[in-house]
Formats: sequence, C-alpha cells, structure tokens
Amino acid sequence: MNQLPGVTAAIPRFRLRRGPRPPSARMSPLARREARYGFLFISPWIVGFLAFTLFPMVATLAFTFLNITLAQEEPLRFVGLDNWTRMAGDQHVWDSLGVTLRFAALWLPISIIVPFTVAVGLNSKYVRGASLMRTLFFVPYVVPFVAGVLVWEQMLGDTGWVNAFLKLVGVDSPPSWLFDAGWIYPALILMGIWGIGAGIVINLAGLRGIPTELYEAARIDGAGAWATLRNVTIPMMSPILFYTLILGVVDVLQYFLVPLVLKNGTGDPAGATLFYNLNLYKTFFTYQQMSYGATLAWFLFGITLVVTLILFALSRRWVYYAGER
Amino acid sequence: MESRLAHLRTRRLPALLVSLAFVAAACGPSATASPAGGQPTGGQSAEPSGPPATFALPSFSPAAMRWYCCLGTGEDPTQQPTEKSVADAVATVFPGSSLKFEVVTYDSARDTLATQIRGGNTPDIVGPVGIGGFAAFQGQWLDLAPYIAKSHYDLSQFNQAAVDFYKSPTEGEIGIPFDVYPSMVWYKKDFFSEAGLQEPPHTYNTQYKMPDGSMADWNYDTLKAIALKLTVDRNGKAADEAGFDKAHIVQYGFEPQRDDLRGLGAYWGAGNLAGPDGKTVVIPDAWKTAWKFFYDGMWGPQPFIMTGQVYASQEFNGGGYAFFSGKVAMSENFLWTTYGVADAGTDWDLAAIPSYNGKVTSPLNADSFGILKGTKNPDAAFAALTYLTGDASDQLLQAYGGMPARPDKQDAFFETLGKSDGFPTKVDWQVVKDSVQYADNPNFEAPMPKYNETLDILSKYMSKWTTTGGLDMDAEINALQAEIQATWNS
Amino acid sequence: MSVAATVAQGDQGGARRSRRRRTAAEWTRIAIVTTAFAAVLIAFLSPLAYSALLSLKSPSQITQANSPGLPSDPATFTWQGKEYPVYYVPLPDGTTRELAIVKKGRTASDFIDPANPDAGTITWQGSWRNLDQPWQLAPQWDNYAKVWDLINFPRALFNTVALALIGTIGTVLSCLLVAYGFARFRFPGRGLLFTILLATIFLPGAVILIPTYTIFVKIGWVGTWLPLLVPAFFANAYDVFLLRQYLLTIPRDLDEAAMIDGAGPWRILRSVVLPQAWPVIVAVSIFTFVYAWNDFFGPLIYLAGHGDIQPLQVVLANFHGVYYKNPALIQVGNMLTLGIPVLLFILFQRVFIRGIVITGVEK
Repeated sequence: MNQLPGVTAAIPRFRLRRGPRPPSARMSPLARREARYGFLFISPWIVGFLAFTLFPMVATLAFTFLNITLAQEEPLRFVGLDNWTRMAGDQHVWDSLGVTLRFAALWLPISIIVPFTVAVGLNSKYVRGASLMRTLFFVPYVVPFVAGVLVWEQMLGDTGWVNAFLKLVGVDSPPSWLFDAGWIYPALILMGIWGIGAGIVINLAGLRGIPTELYEAARIDGAGAWATLRNVTIPMMSPILFYTLILGVVDVLQYFLVPLVLKNGTGDPAGATLFYNLNLYKTFFTYQQMSYGATLAWFLFGITLVVTLILFALSRRWVYYAGER
Repeated sequence: MESRLAHLRTRRLPALLVSLAFVAAACGPSATASPAGGQPTGGQSAEPSGPPATFALPSFSPAAMRWYCCLGTGEDPTQQPTEKSVADAVATVFPGSSLKFEVVTYDSARDTLATQIRGGNTPDIVGPVGIGGFAAFQGQWLDLAPYIAKSHYDLSQFNQAAVDFYKSPTEGEIGIPFDVYPSMVWYKKDFFSEAGLQEPPHTYNTQYKMPDGSMADWNYDTLKAIALKLTVDRNGKAADEAGFDKAHIVQYGFEPQRDDLRGLGAYWGAGNLAGPDGKTVVIPDAWKTAWKFFYDGMWGPQPFIMTGQVYASQEFNGGGYAFFSGKVAMSENFLWTTYGVADAGTDWDLAAIPSYNGKVTSPLNADSFGILKGTKNPDAAFAALTYLTGDASDQLLQAYGGMPARPDKQDAFFETLGKSDGFPTKVDWQVVKDSVQYADNPNFEAPMPKYNETLDILSKYMSKWTTTGGLDMDAEINALQAEIQATWNS
Repeated sequence: MSVAATVAQGDQGGARRSRRRRTAAEWTRIAIVTTAFAAVLIAFLSPLAYSALLSLKSPSQITQANSPGLPSDPATFTWQGKEYPVYYVPLPDGTTRELAIVKKGRTASDFIDPANPDAGTITWQGSWRNLDQPWQLAPQWDNYAKVWDLINFPRALFNTVALALIGTIGTVLSCLLVAYGFARFRFPGRGLLFTILLATIFLPGAVILIPTYTIFVKIGWVGTWLPLLVPAFFANAYDVFLLRQYLLTIPRDLDEAAMIDGAGPWRILRSVVLPQAWPVIVAVSIFTFVYAWNDFFGPLIYLAGHGDIQPLQVVLANFHGVYYKNPALIQVGNMLTLGIPVLLFILFQRVFIRGIVITGVEK
C-alpha cells in the first residue's frame, strides 16, 4: 500500500546500536558542553514531540475517562472506565477488529512474499533487462494514492480489463470484485500489490548485498536452487523481511484509507470493509463521540504495541544479523 | 458505487412530520392562490408583506460569515457559480458583512462539519439541508424563533403547516421553508410501446389496463406483473417467459428508490423506526413488505430489479441512478431526479405511485438552510438566511431544481423546468403536484436515536441484501432490528 | 556496504555472467523466464493504459456492454431530424447490411437503409438486442478540455508542489539537525529519547488526531497550510532514524580533526558532515517529497471546504465524489494527477531508485 512512502523507504534495523557509553552522573565541563549541543540539536524534535505527539496523546487518554461528545448533551464529567467497558461489549468494535485481522492475515504474507519473489526473480541470471523491469515495476508506486484507487475501481469494474480478461479465458460470469463481500479483499490486495515497487527495490538491494561466496559455497556443497534459497537467501534476507513485516503490521492495523476513498467509508459491501480504523474514524468524525473514539484509538495503540513486541521477541529466533556474533 | 450512492442521494434531505394539511394546501389548490398574498420578502427591502408588522431586520453588527455546503445538493459545479454569486451578493445587501461559500462534497460533508463544530471552527449557515441533515446534527441548531419575532419575518407567505415542518420539539424553529421534492414513478414510454403495454396511470386512484384487457388497481402487484414483462434478457425474452436468461438481463422492469432502506420502505407506507416510546425499534409492516418485495425482485426466480452488483456496473450507470442509464422501464424517485434524467433519453414521463393496501404514499424530501448554535454572529447570520431563502431563492431554486415552498412560485418553476435541455417536449408535471398530497407522514428521515449509527447499520444491511442472494429475509429483518436496538441501548 | 559498491557489484555480476558460454538450453530458459516476467510486468502496468484509454471514451460507449476496447462511438444515422442507431442486420438473402433501427419491437423491428432512406422501412424478424453495432474510432479529446474547465488544475498543481517543497525543506532541515544531535553528541537520556523517537513510528495517528485538530482550530490554523507544514519543521522518526544511521557510518576522524582546528559543532555539520551525507539527504528529500505529494488525509481534514488551497489528490477525490458516474472524466483527472509524478520518476529514476537503496539497505 503506497500510502506511506516514507515508511517503506526506511529499513531501520530495530536494534539500538549503543553509541559511546552514556556519560556518568558527574560531567566534565567538556561533556556538559557536548550535552548542551546535543540537546540543542535534538530540540526541534523534542518540541515537536511534546506539542504534536505527547500532549495530544495524553489528552486523548484523558478523553477516554470523560464523556465528551460533539453535542455534549450531558455535562462534562469523569466516567471512569465506562468507555472501556462499553467497548468490551460493543459488537461493532469486535466485528471491525475481525475485518482488520482477516485482511491482515491475507495481506501480510502477500506483502512480504510477492516483492521478495519478484526481486529473487529479477535477480536471476535468466532475466534480461532486469534493471529496466525494476524501474517499470516501480512506476505505480509513484502514482498518487487516490488516483491509484480510482484507476483500479474501473479496472476491476464490470467493463474493466480484469473481467474482460477473465471472460476471454472462458469465465462466463466473472466476479463483481468491488461489490461482493467475498471478492473485495482480493480486490484490495490487488490494489496493494500495485504499490510493491519500493518493496521490490529494497529486496533487490538486499539480495545484491548477499556475498557471492555464500552461493559459491552452497554450490560446492551441491545444494539445489531450493536449498540455496532456504539456507542462504532467506536467512541473509531475514533482517529485510523482518523490517517489512514490522512496518507492514503497523500499516495494516491502521489500514482504512483505500476503502475510505473506494467505498466512501460505508464499509460496503455488507460491512466487509468496515476496518477497525474506519470504525474508529467514524466514531470520531461521523458519530461525534470523541471520548469513545479516543478509547478505540488507545485500544488500537495497545494492540499495535503488543503485536510488535511479540514479533520482536520472536525475531530472535529467525532474524539473522550478519556481522553480529 | 452503489454505496457512495446510497449516501450521495440521501442527501436531498427530507422533512419531518410533514403534515398532510400543509402539503395539500401548499402545493395543491393554493398553488393558484393570489400571488399578492404570498409576496416573498427578504433582505432589507422592507415591503409590507404580512398583517402583523412589517419585516425589518433589527440592526446588527456586520460580520464575516461562512456558509457551509453541501449536506444536501449544492456541490455540483454547475450550481456553484450561482451559490458563489449569491454569497458574494450578501456583502452588497448587508454592507460590512460578508458570506463565504465553502463547498465540502457530500462524501465528507458530515464528517467535516462534525469536526469543525467539535474544534470550535463552527460555520454560521448550513445548507441546503433537509431533515435528514438536521437530524444528523441534532442539538446543534440555533432556534430561529426569537429572530423571526424580532424582525417580524412574515411566515404567512408559507402555509402554517410548512413552517411547522421545521419545528423541532427540542430545538425550536430550525429552518425557514425553502423547497420540496415529492416522489413519482418515472417511466420510459418507448419500452411500454415496444412491449405493447399500456402506460402506467398519471392520476391517483385510477386503474391500469392489463394486456389481457382486464382492469387492475394500480398497486404493487400490478406494478410487478408489468415490470416482469418489461424485464428483458439479451435474447429479447421477458422475465415471465419460459427460457428467460436471468444471468444476462439487458433491461430491467423496475427500480425502487434504493438510497436508504427507510425511504424504500416509505413508498409502501409512512413510518419511523422509533416506536411510540422513542426508544424501542419498531419496523413498520409496510417497510418489511417493501424490503421483501425488493429482495424478491432482485434474487427471486423471476428477477425484475437489478442486484447491487448490476446496479454498480457501468452498463447500468455505474451506481448512479439506474433509470438514467435508459435501461430501466419504471423507477420510483424524488423530483430531484430531474438533474440527470435527460440521460435516460427523450421518451420518459411521470406516473402515479402505486398503492399498498389501498393507500398511496409518496415520500417527500425538502431542503432548507439552518444556522448553527455555535455561530458567533447569530443576528447577521439570520439576516443572511432571510436573504438566501428570500430574494436569492429564485436563483438558488433554479440551480437546485427544487420545487419552491412558496405556493405562488410553483407554476413558474414547472414552466422553466419543462424547458430543460434534453427533456421531452411534454411531461405531465401535474403528477408532481398531485403526488405532494400523498406525502409520507411521518417523514422517513425524521429524527431517531443514534441517527448516524442507525443509518450506517441500515446501509450495511442494504448492501448485504443487494449483493447476497439466498437470504432468509425474515431472519435478516430480525437481525437488523436487534442490531439497531443494541445500538440504541448503548 | 555502500550503495556504490552494491550497484557496482550488481553490474559486475552481470559482466561475469556474460563471459561464460551459454548452452541452447540456457538460452531457452532465459527466453522463457524473461518473457514470463515481461508478461507479468505488462499486466502490472496495464491499469495505466486502461485509465488512459478510458479517459478518451464517451459515456455512451462506457454504458454499452461489449463495446470495443479503443475509444469509439456506435454508428448512428440521422433521418428526418432524429438520430437512430445502426446495426449489422443479417437479412434473409444471406447478406448482412448496416441498417438504422427506427422502431424497436420484441420480435420484429423496423429498419431503414442509410444508403437508401427513401426506400422506406424494412421489417426484420428477430430480436434487435442480438444484433451487433458497427463502431467508429472516436477518441474524446474533449474530455480533457472539460475536466480542465471543471478543475482549476494549475492552482491545484501549484498547491501540491508548494506544499511538498516547503514540507520537504522543513523535514530535511529539522531531521538533519536532530539526527546530527543523536549521532554525534553524548547527553544524558540519549538512549531513552531515541527509543521514544522510534516508538512514535508505532503510534496510530488516531491517538493524536482529535486534540491536535482542536488545537489547530483554536489557533486559527485550520483552513490554512500551517497544520500541514509547521509539524514538518519539528522532525519525524523515520527520517531522523535514516539520517542518524547514515551519519553513524561516517568516520569521526574528520570531525575530530576539525574540532582540533577549533571548529564548532555548526561548522563541523556544515563543512564535514554535510558533504559526506549528501546521498542520504537526497534520498530523504526524494521520499519526503513523494510522501508530501501523496499526502491525502492531512489535507483532506485540514483544508476541507477551501478548494483554492487544496492539493491535487483532495481535488481529485472531491471530483470523484461529484463525477463518479462519468468514469471517463475521473480517469482524465487521474491522468492529470499521476502524469507529473510518473514523468518525474521516469526522468530521475536513477536518483530515485538509488535513494531507496540507500534508505532501504544502509544500516
């Protein structure tokens, strides 16, 4: 999904490299001077963080214990955990969480495997013109997101080329992609795949970074293509795959802009695109329930936190950082 | 985009608690009443217009105001120049004041307005907005009554009932009557002639001559019988013939008003989801019948209504009103259908709404302008409002295609409307005037608890029913009722 | 591994490969794999072609089932002041002629021969719905003129470019400073602060939206560009992270030498760090620019109702809201919106892709 180019652009290795040891409690004048400069340089972020992140976050958290609505028919008051207990019993919340999780289960593997596979293919010695192809695969990534959605809306329509192609190969009644609850996820996934250009390039760069000696060694050991992929390529690529996975999780849990543009936020067909974040957005903006929306937002934050922490914990088992002993 | 549509069109918002008395009086006989009696006045041209006192705006401090559009119609680029020029004219009419016209397309208009109000960035005037829009922002509207009293605004130019129309029990007087849109049957004459059928009746309480020569009441059974004959597959076979290929229908017999399940139901009978206690969900029986009729028409053995998938297809207007595709024989819809009906060809005309259980119901939409409670300039905003619904109303109504709420303006309105580009030379506009007398009361868009949430639940079920075959409709309706009830209880 | 090395290695790989002699079997494999990839690529890019073609179609073609792929119009014939559609009609004598239908019927219809209209109508038995229509190529270039009139395109483009440029400048400047601070200075709590910085990546935007919006309203910023631009000058986690990681790879020897020469932190940043960091700065700039160009949600909520200062994407989404039932016009809007970024990318693709490699793989 190309809604956050900046996100996929970065592959942080999510490990903090400890810099020089932290200064001791008692600082020399020189160290104090250094610290002053350090704070001076990072001050734009500190100010921005306090004003545009921490304060709103705390305010939102405070909202979850109040009864703020747009109309504010009742006087503003502290309601304790009312919003939280209401959420626990709100079928719409759990339904929408189910939608997001179902979609995530479909999309995440695809969002990791497809760019990886294409990159491995383009890196193969049997492909000519790989760099031209790489460039062309990237083109849809720079298509502004709204335009991309609107192109696909027609492409997947009844007169679009997808169904024209299906009819050509003998499918008499091709699916109504965007209006059938059973086909809307494949449709959204197709749109997502359209934006994998950056993923391909990142994977390609990662593949190029694998020392050829490893492949030589594998060849000498008599490893076939599959074994080489499993034992050399995938472990060497694991930091990149992990990175893609982590940011993919963060993105997919917040996924809603594509259905928002495509379906105008209705959740059609039949509630299949009522994603968690869409429900949250509607609670804020459409239903005008600020406190309840804030509660949903914090719950989402919690889910994101838990999932990423679990992934980090699991990553020790499979992510291999070259150069680390 | 069926879904978008559902929302796009609910926009031409309707009216609450329409009194039949109003409707009959405002749009029926009194349409021919002496124009002098209903002299519209607005702005500061203090013409003598009503018995009690002369309309004169008390002095107010000039203000820079904002006009928020489009919770209803008004976003179309062809309408915007008129709206802008009317907004600009406010500066001339009320020196020192100004009105800034702001368009937020219907798609995001509700959310954006909610956010602006929440953020304290409240616009002054909102419109055009109907009762659906008023209901969606319950509690946010300014009670105009004191301003009407202070300025001696002449409400007698409208029927008293028309004024009551915008009276909210909790919020007071929230709008001044502006325009109304009754519902009719729109049909393609050429399809009837191709099929060798009589055209549907133009007058209410008349009968229809069936192909076998027998006379039948113009009700939904009759409508279905002829809709089947007007539903045609690609081989030219009708839906009631043997060998009909329902997978490849190229022309549909009937299209209901499918923007909103409540509206769809209201063609069978007026009602409201809120029971007498205002807290219990009670689905009117007529609505249940309507929904089953609709569902059976899409998914039954002899389909004559398009499914959601077909409705969304380019071939049938890509989610716009399917009648505009020129491939639908009969469609129920509001008067604002005129905005796009030219696409359907030059062979259409208007007919009476069929009866259900011997009773005819023609759901009504109506628009007005409201002032938000959060305005910092209520006096100036009221002055601007009287201008929009007064002196500027001729221009605006023409741009919106709405039938004026002032009875004396209606004949001229139809005169102009009939000359629209691409319209048939002869359209039976009398049907419109007659239909108003059968307006739904209570109006289907009347307030109910958790308004926006309930709308979303209705729209979810609409989407499910239009896109999924083989459902048990009784179970579905029960599930719908339970889900709305759960939301109301929370 | 540096970018240059990565790219060079790729190239060497290619050179190395070609030195070996290939067998026929290998050539076949190359042909098959390359063709397969090319086919996938064509399918991948086909939506753009589809959009381009659709943008030139007329509404009458779009609503017609089984119409041709190229922009065309069905043939019609005007007779006695009225237009009638023309069909291929198979006649009883075995010939098929192009006739105009004047009266449609379920089982029989009346036609006239455009070549000889005065000969009167020909009644043909059968369902006219089964007949095919002749089509004439007719691209509707007019669609572009229409959309140009409906959207103030130059204005929207200006807004987009201005927003993206200012936002990029703010982001790069502030992130560079912050990254420099994190990479080169020791201060108490640095590790914790950096962790917090990274953690903000995981923060759902919704958690901060409503209070932020409220503040911007209170200070009168909603309806202006300020809510979109000002935060850019206060750094963001992704770009700080990228820049910091890159700065860490630059050896400190030169810093130290400069410091001994009496250079202060500002001068070191300007004359030592900056010259070495330019590849990552270019990369970050490009990505911030693309991100700002594609930003939709921010302008959507902060600029709602202010058509004259909205960027292209919001204008396009609004346009779609009004003209959704005329897909050709929507696709014209799409073409206008995506044309420029795609063109820019094709022109600068080398820099672009290198940017991703830097930001993506550098550690």
